Amino acid sequence: MSSFKKTYLSLTLFTIFMFSFSYMLVPLYDIFCEITGLNGKTNQERVLVVNENPSERFVTVKFTSTVANSAPFTFEPIDREMVVQVGKIYNTFYTLTNNTTSVKHATASPSVVPHEDAEYFKKIECFCFSQQQINGLETKELPLQFIIDNELDNDTRTLILSYTMFNTTDQVGSK
Amino acid sequence: MSTDIEKLHDDHDHGPSSGIMRWITTTNHKDIGTMYLWFSLIMFFIGGLMALVIRAELFQPGLQLVVPGFFNQMTTMHALVMIFGAVMPAFVGLANWQLPIMIGAPDMALPRLNNWSFWILPFAFTMMLSTLFMESGGPAAGWTLYPPLSLQGGDSFPFTILAIHMLGVSSILGAINVIATILNMRAPGMTLMKMPIFVWTWLITAFLLIASMPVLAGAVTMLLTDKFFGTMFFTASGGGDPVMFQHIFWFFGHPEVYILILPAFGIVSTIIPAFSRKRLFGYDSMVYATASIALLSFIVWAHHMFTVGMPLAGEIFFMFTTMLIAIPTGVKVFNWVATMWRGSMTFETPMLFAIAFIVLFTIGGFSGLMLAMVPADFQYHDTYFVVAHFHYVLVPGAVFAIMAAVYYWLPKWTGKMYNEGLGKLHFWLTTIFVNLTFFPMHFVGLAGMPRRIPDYAVQFADFNAIASVGAFGFGLSQLLFVYILFNTLKKDVTAEDKVWEGAEGLEWTLSSPPPYHSFEKAPTVD
Amino acid sequence: MRISNILLMVIFPTAALAEWETNMPRGVTPTSEVAYDLHMLIFYITVVIGIVVFGAMLYSILYHRKSLGHKPAKFHESTKVEIIWTVIPFIILVGMAVPATKALIMMEDTRDSEITLKVTGYQWMWQYEYLEDNVTFFSKISDESNAARRLGSGVDVTTVDNYLRDVDHAIVLPTNTKVRILLTANDVIHAWWVPELGGKKDAIPGYVNEIWVDIKEPGTYRGQCAELCGKDHGFMPIVVHAVSKPEYYKWVGIQKTNRVAKNK
Ligand code: HEM
Ligand SMILES: [Cu+2]
Ligand SMILES: [Cu+2]
Repeated sequence: MSSFKKTYLSLTLFTIFMFSFSYMLVPLYDIFCEITGLNGKTNQERVLVVNENPSERFVTVKFTSTVANSAPFTFEPIDREMVVQVGKIYNTFYTLTNNTTSVKHATASPSVVPHEDAEYFKKIECFCFSQQQINGLETKELPLQFIIDNELDNDTRTLILSYTMFNTTDQVGSK
Repeated sequence: MSTDIEKLHDDHDHGPSSGIMRWITTTNHKDIGTMYLWFSLIMFFIGGLMALVIRAELFQPGLQLVVPGFFNQMTTMHALVMIFGAVMPAFVGLANWQLPIMIGAPDMALPRLNNWSFWILPFAFTMMLSTLFMESGGPAAGWTLYPPLSLQGGDSFPFTILAIHMLGVSSILGAINVIATILNMRAPGMTLMKMPIFVWTWLITAFLLIASMPVLAGAVTMLLTDKFFGTMFFTASGGGDPVMFQHIFWFFGHPEVYILILPAFGIVSTIIPAFSRKRLFGYDSMVYATASIALLSFIVWAHHMFTVGMPLAGEIFFMFTTMLIAIPTGVKVFNWVATMWRGSMTFETPMLFAIAFIVLFTIGGFSGLMLAMVPADFQYHDTYFVVAHFHYVLVPGAVFAIMAAVYYWLPKWTGKMYNEGLGKLHFWLTTIFVNLTFFPMHFVGLAGMPRRIPDYAVQFADFNAIASVGAFGFGLSQLLFVYILFNTLKKDVTAEDKVWEGAEGLEWTLSSPPPYHSFEKAPTVD
Repeated sequence: MRISNILLMVIFPTAALAEWETNMPRGVTPTSEVAYDLHMLIFYITVVIGIVVFGAMLYSILYHRKSLGHKPAKFHESTKVEIIWTVIPFIILVGMAVPATKALIMMEDTRDSEITLKVTGYQWMWQYEYLEDNVTFFSKISDESNAARRLGSGVDVTTVDNYLRDVDHAIVLPTNTKVRILLTANDVIHAWWVPELGGKKDAIPGYVNEIWVDIKEPGTYRGQCAELCGKDHGFMPIVVHAVSKPEYYKWVGIQKTNRVAKNK
């Protein structure tokens, strides 16, 4: 092969590689987020091994909620604030009301601040792990079970957990 | 290698065919270069008209001319047209004209491909601009296309994305051609470290292009599938993240801004020594500085998104890498000054544009450095201060360099000398108005005026009025540029082969204008 | 910047009459102050570098011209010089990076805030929620500005008080109190920005971001959305009234009774 064709070929391959690289960035980004707590992302999957190991420390956890795209939901935490012991399992609820008369699907996206501490907020059971189906005018209690990891920075005294509820009825329909 | 070139030569006879078919079917680097340059000039005026719509609306507080939705289409289109339609094609046009005659080659390595890369452009832009006449209007989410906003776009959305794909293909083909030409077709004796600096900067730019344009293609493809095919790359409800788009976009976007400036560095590094009658102070360090800017440009992208809420360590990392870029950039500026130092300077139009480039680009570099400081960027970000920054590096930066190049090589291309007096007048008008337009933007930005707004609080009124006056003056001054071009073309006095006393390089050994096939026999460089 | 003010007045005599705001406000919070100080530090550094570089250039342009018969020197390539102009900028950069990093660490530390204000961006208004007191309301551009800003409204906008910078429901925050501000959005990305309270941050749908303010002086501070969020992006102002803590709690009390009254 002439050097000229070689240049041509390798550059074309490089172009294709860079295009695939943009798609490779997607999983890379997720890994990156998980390591750094980017955007306050917390575990999206159930934590399987939980060691309860209550310590002397107490921190305040505040709960808040948002409904995305002005969807016809009412979505609120039962407890707006809890003082919890680090290393101990707690339970709480959010309530979700469907303000329409038709069946809806909904998915919650969690986010924790401070972002740096998001990884220490471990969800054991969470409604955000799966799609919710909710009948017209129904109100559902959505359970959350969590533990604050003992590794939590000593200077952190408050954590805030926020859920954004998305109406995913259309997405479910299209599948 | 030589057989390849001969094969290519069989494709066409040894003179231009006549009529319109000459331009449609041409594989000649000069014809294609000329088409790129005219295309870029037309786009410069179309994008300029959009800018004037923007500045007219912003002349006074209150909405007088356009509705906010249309205003947003103007800012979006203005950027896309100027970046992909005016500046990039102008540089590719210069590459087409200059690379073969600077390295002693008969033509570009892949002439057929060259024809395609050009002819994609008019179609892509016709499609993109036509979206403005759709019922839902053109794209209005900014040239950065951030989701979820861009996903709210109407019918124009898929057309814009298709057009961006076509522009990407065009640039990538162009870049492959440039690299193939430079690596394989240099005259005997011209080692890499003997190449003219403009050739070097274009070689590095071409690598930036093929490394970054495919990433843009990926990003907009994801947008497209998110909107129409139910993927969830950028939607939180499906496990996606709108911020990820910004990361992917700027992974393309920052190298892109260097694509817009590296060839300009090459041009200025050619012109300053020519009119100082003195060698470029540090050729090697210029090459290394360009290469390190290009490498660094892949690890600074997140400085465009300091306000998205990154981890502290990330903010610090991107702040430091961004500051580092200032060092090779500084090396370049110092080198230009050292080249002028104790030279024997004359100030013809190309030199005037090159000197203005150094000063005004450096001002843009200063504001860049300020923007790199994260705590201060929390204030600067998305304000007119950023608008001032990137216009300083792009207009008296990239655009001035292009104008300098046109004045410098126009006599070579056409065989005719432009009118020096008019050239100088064009320079002074342009320089005065460019500053009148963009300098006040620093002030309103610092005082708190966000970018991309159609109307503003009254305390920003005075500076905005000044900027608008400047913009109209700038626009009108460019009509003079067009006049100068046509005036030159219809002259019948011929320019000398070596137009400028201090100019160096193989292109000046050719006749003005050069023969249709530049170097039939490769010259030898020692 | 005062110097630039004077310069400008020389260039544009009418400017003397107008109010020429030319610089970043120093602001009233620790974060806005460090941003301002850093901004001025770098500004002066660049001015000094500019004087040196452009000064050398200007000298050369004036004296090293062919028309004066100046003959070109032959020198080029000097490793010594190259090293000097790489190392000196590097040292200057380190000098800038240190205070910048310090400031950044301080700005990102939202811990131990007393009050939490959650801000949700909507196309095109803001929703505010005082987390601890469960007070929630929407805040959008004032009717007067909103009417005046329409295309062809016929209103002289200079006669409108705080044109585009006034809202129907302003937020009230206590002075000398660390307040954590949570940012999120309902639809697209917005950014919440009041220059005098410090920097901006994006409000992103599905996620929360946070900043903090600690307002040192009572007063009214105005800002607006800073991230393109669609057609009325330019029309979602922010107004913050900073009052003493007792006044703040009085205000919160009134909001709560209003809510109770409304719910009945
Ligand atoms: C010393 C070198 C430079 C530094 C340190 C620098 C730094 C920055 C930073 C930090 C931003 C983001 C500001 C913000 O959005 O808050 C920015 C924006 C920008 N810069 Fe530069 N810059 C430099 C040179 C250049 C050059 C050479 C170009 C292109 C010719 C350029 C073009 C742009 C553009 C187009 C934007 C705005 C993009 C957008 O948001 O639409 N910059 N720069
Ligand atoms: Cu950049
Ligand atoms: Cu906005």
